[in-house]
Amino acid sequence: MTKRSEPQETMYDLSRVLDFDALSSVRPGTSLLVAGPAMTGKDELALELLRDGAREGEGAVVVTTNDDAADIAADFRESVPDLEDSQLGVIDCRGDSGGDGEGTEGVYVHHVSSPGDLTGIGIGITKALEGLHNSGRDQGRLALFSLSTMLTYTDKKTVFKLCHILSSRLDAAGYVGVFTIDSGAHDDQTLQVIKQAFDGLVEVREDDGTRQARVLGLSSDPSDWQDL
Amino acid sequence: MSDSDRPVVLIVEDEPDVAETYRLWLREDYEVEMAHDGDEGLSKLDADVDVVLLDRMMPGLSGDEVLEQIRERDLDCRVSMVTAVEPDFDILEMGFDAYLSKPIRSEELHETVENLLDRSAYDGLLQDYYSLVEKRATLEATKSNAELAESEEYDELKEEIAELQDDLSDSLGGIEDDADFIATLRGLSNDEAE
Repeated sequence: MTKRSEPQETMYDLSRVLDFDALSSVRPGTSLLVAGPAMTGKDELALELLRDGAREGEGAVVVTTNDDAADIAADFRESVPDLEDSQLGVIDCRGDSGGDGEGTEGVYVHHVSSPGDLTGIGIGITKALEGLHNSGRDQGRLALFSLSTMLTYTDKKTVFKLCHILSSRLDAAGYVGVFTIDSGAHDDQTLQVIKQAFDGLVEVREDDGTRQARVLGLSSDPSDWQDL
Repeated sequence: MSDSDRPVVLIVEDEPDVAETYRLWLREDYEVEMAHDGDEGLSKLDADVDVVLLDRMMPGLSGDEVLEQIRERDLDCRVSMVTAVEPDFDILEMGFDAYLSKPIRSEELHETVENLLDRSAYDGLLQDYYSLVEKRATLEATKSNAELAESEEYDELKEEIAELQDDLSDSLGGIEDDADFIATLRGLSNDEAE
């Protein structure tokens, strides 16, 4: 097997969205968990990391249990003016058939019957990655939101294994992964288990109306809390 | 039933000559069992079978129907479809783990069986890995940082976790292959259904 730490690999700069030293040069294949209480903008943060990459010409794959594929497509078109055909893939796991696909022209959309259909999600991700690869994009970011919804469909063991397998697949593709979890919705032990499937953790909190974040796991010490 | 530790391969194939050829190729490395149609295949399937080579076109139960029953019975075996023509549909979506199109060469057959066995090994490693991670999470949730720093058990656990992590990234080439990726996820869904 090939070693993936070749010096010529292009690092990802996530610090345009999250201004932390530890995020200015992130190795391809890194998977991050974004954890925080409800209503702290975790999904939006994950999406912004993808839009930021897309503005630089990177591929984007969104796996969502919460949002409509057409809404995601519209959002990307608005905030990434130069978005090209086959630059975005959306795996919509909400379990509806997705109507007539209106509003998603030029976007690869795959519908999965439920957030518990892991094989279906895998097939969607495979096809999305294949499409991006065929259009010559070798760098990209994948977001999955949210693991909390997945945890209502399946147990923590399965979600942990899923995260590990997805991380391995992203590592092989040279992508960066961002996964979100609602830290208030699960017990400490569950969070502690899920965290261990990731290379790094971005914690988000709200303090007196100000959103703050800190980064753990990518450098030897955790970063300080910073306002977002 | 076999009493050796060798992996068990079940060949379900209605043409005796073809089945016999596969058996001769495989018998040095594996326990080989044979079934001449889908019904016999299902009756010979038990927890000992690791890999099934399933002919798609057979009189009686078709390969697709046999596969459906295998999935319904939640058996852990890996199934490769054997077809006369290259399939023009997504075999992964159908629930097969691999496919071979006739005529099959010996080398190809060995490679496919080995790959399917590697996937099972990967599943086992991932399960072990999870158990250790869960143990670690429990220790971290119940002991103070000072206690953890003193704990030999915790140190050993962290070491074991790191070792297994390496083993996992070495097996299946770190899930570089699409078929490995999807089959591994399918394995998760099957576990969960148990």
